[in-house]
Amino acid sequence: MKKTVSFNLNGNAVQILTESYYSLLDTLRDDLQLTGTKKGCDEGDCGACTVLLEGKPVTSCMVLAHSVHDADVVTIEGLASGQELHPVQRAFVEHGGLQCGFCIPGLIMSATGLLMENPEPTEEEVRLAIGGNLCRCTGYSKVVEAILAAATKINGSKGGRS
Amino acid sequence: MTSFKVLETNHPRLDAIEKVTGSATYASDVYLPGMLMCKLLLSTQSHAKIVSIDVAEAEKIPGVRAVITGQDYPEVHFGSGGLRDRYIMPRDEVFYVGEPIAAVAADNEIIAQTALDTIKVLYEPLPNVVNSLAALDPGSPIVHPDLPSFEGYGFVLGGDNVCTLLDADRGDVDEAFGKCDFIVEDVFQSQGINQGFLEPMACIARSEPNGRLTIWASTQGPYQVRSQLATVLQLEISQIKVIPMELGGGFGAKLRLAFEAYPALLSIRCGQPVKLINTREETFTLNGPRLPVTNYIRSGINNDGTIMAREAYTVFDVGAYLGAGPNSGVGHGLGAYHIPNYRLRSYGVYTNKVYVGSYRASGVADMTFAVESHTDNIANKLGIDPIDFRMKNAIKKGDIAVNGSPLPSNGLMETLEAIKKTLNKPDAGSDRGVGVALCEWRSGSGPSTASISVNEDGTISLLTGSVDISGSDTSLAAIAAETLGISLDKVIVPKRDTDLAPFTGPSGGSRIIYSQGTAVQRAAEDTKAKLFLLASERLGVAAEALICEEGMVYVQDNPAQSLDIGQIARLSLSSRGGPIIGTASLSNMPYTPVFSTHAAEVLVDKETGQVKVTRYIQAQDVGVAINPMSVEGQLDGGAVQGIGRALSEDMQFDPQTGEVKNASFATYLMPLAIDMPNIEDILIRVPAEDGPFGARAVAEPPGFGPPAAIANAIYDAIGIRINDLPLSPERVLSAINGSVTEITLNVHSLKQAEQ
Repeated sequence: MKKTVSFNLNGNAVQILTESYYSLLDTLRDDLQLTGTKKGCDEGDCGACTVLLEGKPVTSCMVLAHSVHDADVVTIEGLASGQELHPVQRAFVEHGGLQCGFCIPGLIMSATGLLMENPEPTEEEVRLAIGGNLCRCTGYSKVVEAILAAATKINGSKGGRS
Repeated sequence: MTSFKVLETNHPRLDAIEKVTGSATYASDVYLPGMLMCKLLLSTQSHAKIVSIDVAEAEKIPGVRAVITGQDYPEVHFGSGGLRDRYIMPRDEVFYVGEPIAAVAADNEIIAQTALDTIKVLYEPLPNVVNSLAALDPGSPIVHPDLPSFEGYGFVLGGDNVCTLLDADRGDVDEAFGKCDFIVEDVFQSQGINQGFLEPMACIARSEPNGRLTIWASTQGPYQVRSQLATVLQLEISQIKVIPMELGGGFGAKLRLAFEAYPALLSIRCGQPVKLINTREETFTLNGPRLPVTNYIRSGINNDGTIMAREAYTVFDVGAYLGAGPNSGVGHGLGAYHIPNYRLRSYGVYTNKVYVGSYRASGVADMTFAVESHTDNIANKLGIDPIDFRMKNAIKKGDIAVNGSPLPSNGLMETLEAIKKTLNKPDAGSDRGVGVALCEWRSGSGPSTASISVNEDGTISLLTGSVDISGSDTSLAAIAAETLGISLDKVIVPKRDTDLAPFTGPSGGSRIIYSQGTAVQRAAEDTKAKLFLLASERLGVAAEALICEEGMVYVQDNPAQSLDIGQIARLSLSSRGGPIIGTASLSNMPYTPVFSTHAAEVLVDKETGQVKVTRYIQAQDVGVAINPMSVEGQLDGGAVQGIGRALSEDMQFDPQTGEVKNASFATYLMPLAIDMPNIEDILIRVPAEDGPFGARAVAEPPGFGPPAAIANAIYDAIGIRINDLPLSPERVLSAINGSVTEITLNVHSLKQAEQ
């Protein structure tokens, strides 16, 4: 049965009639046509559907849409400001941290969540933070390089340690 | 090295912004008005006659718009791997657990699933065989008794369950074995592997009012989907348009017609668009993976370290149908070595399991594991350093390769030297070890086309039929830009479909840069000649006196005399020749080998059997790096796929039914970031005699080396040789405890059967 759920999505209040059994992922894709968040397994194993819920990375296929009532949700579509890419997005572009790109929205959301909590991660902390994001193309090397470069850039612009 | 303006420089991909903002559109992202969802009913039987399928109740459920079974398709045999051995949906017999036997289109997936649950299928079980070696036994149940009547192209049928038999012979093998100083014989086994693409198979089919079909597909081969779909639906090719969407990983799994025919027929039946998205479970159970391979390998060696003779017998399990060619060539049994006498055989064997598909040079990773583990065994017997032994026996320029061609110039020796220089031998007794593997491949060929039109602002539009995989569009654009002396941002590579773009072969087998890239280079040369012709008329000089650089065409001796490319394009609109278009087309390219050397450093935990790869290096001869960042990306990704194959990935099949037992990412263990070392890439540049600017293929070899390099490193660390993949903690620990599985292949009976 469809019920209404209200939450804050990418900075805007939304109110949507959605099936009670829908995951947040299905609501984003099927109801709101925000298809940047990907369905890779629908079982919480691959991380392609990662979004930020209250600032923390979660696999949106494992979250019921109705459980995010009044919460703050950020998807890959909410990261850039207009044409200005988020530093994590920019770093993935510049360091070639993407190939087929299907896992990339999830990886970028996990990386963004990490840098919000830990602005100066070590390589091992980066690898741990994306430990739930499967990527089959890149072998992770350039992804890790991109996330470390994004951290340096964000900290540099804040006048922190570079 | 030639100085390049565009090549050999890192360029972000042309489509990178779409991919990092989530706006890149994959097939599953396509939503159409009135779109229905398709679900598939899967066989529960390993091998059985279908006595009846009753769909009457399903058709009555509100929201169900169409139900189809195999009987609804034209009765036409079709094949995706070189042998017409199947129907697109079984008519009266199923051959593996998970085979689709009916499809439903409904208003949503829940209704479709409810409908499936009401379909009644009556089976009559038939004898089955699951293991490929058992399938070779005389008296084994026969998977396809009508094999002799199947139409094939290019393969010899071996009879019974042997659907393909490939051979290669040279010299007097028996005499050479008789004369050599000693013989080394090994048997290896490798496991079933899933391609592990992150985007599940997805497609949408829409039957158009004019009788045509539009297919939005996740595919590496839109023209292959078009022609195979035309075959199974008995339509004309011109009635089908295939739109390849962004491809979320394929690695060979998406080269051919997959499931597009199901929504297609449903859409024809009900007149609405129909979408099918595989579940992750279905990507394991019904999308052709690689299946187990058994390799018998025997070499005759002289005490001076020369390999004199080789026998290799390889058995490829192909599952229920020959979904992809059995392997990429029997010649890989030689490895990258010059061996004067050899007898090589490979067998494709039917079993009642999900049918085999392609994966990053199908079969070569299995053969490289066997050959390169065996190579270390020989070097160890001789007491020679494994790298020196490889250098001594490596095939050299001018040697006749197994395909009969003399080996062109190449960087094989340079890759070995680079690894030798970089590798440090760990201390003895540290449980650390190093191992190497030498890999060989060839640059892929096949039909390739390109067309370039010059726009009035000096940009160009590059039209190719090949699907972008891993940045290939950007590399093709770079080849055009380099040839025409313009910057990369002046190249537009439009999205295309099979109505719009000229025919080209699929994006696979390491053929895009080498073959398609050559077509692009030639189309750009053609464009340049036409630009020069018009410029020479306007500037009053001979075309031979002109060069183009930085978007300008100018007289070499007098650079002030010039026209920019945009000006020429505008002039062309009213010129005798008309607007400028350059084209090129080719079908086959000469043999161009690719070699690489891999090295792994491992730490073996003797308590748990856990193997940690602490360092991984690969040196590959790329000829010229069109876009180094992209080349490294291919090398990194391939190596990590290979490390997964070496250590953890393992499709498990029920021994009685052949059903896939670990159909999820939680149980099929692909490498995670936290498990992987940073991959070190060394690019060797020995320009190819053919190929754009001397570039060689890149993408397949990176996955070949890890299993053997890691097995050799484990031997180096703890003195134990394991011949069975994956090198999982369980297997390594039982080997440490003295229990190693003995693998046997009855080569004697294979030889007898041949006579």
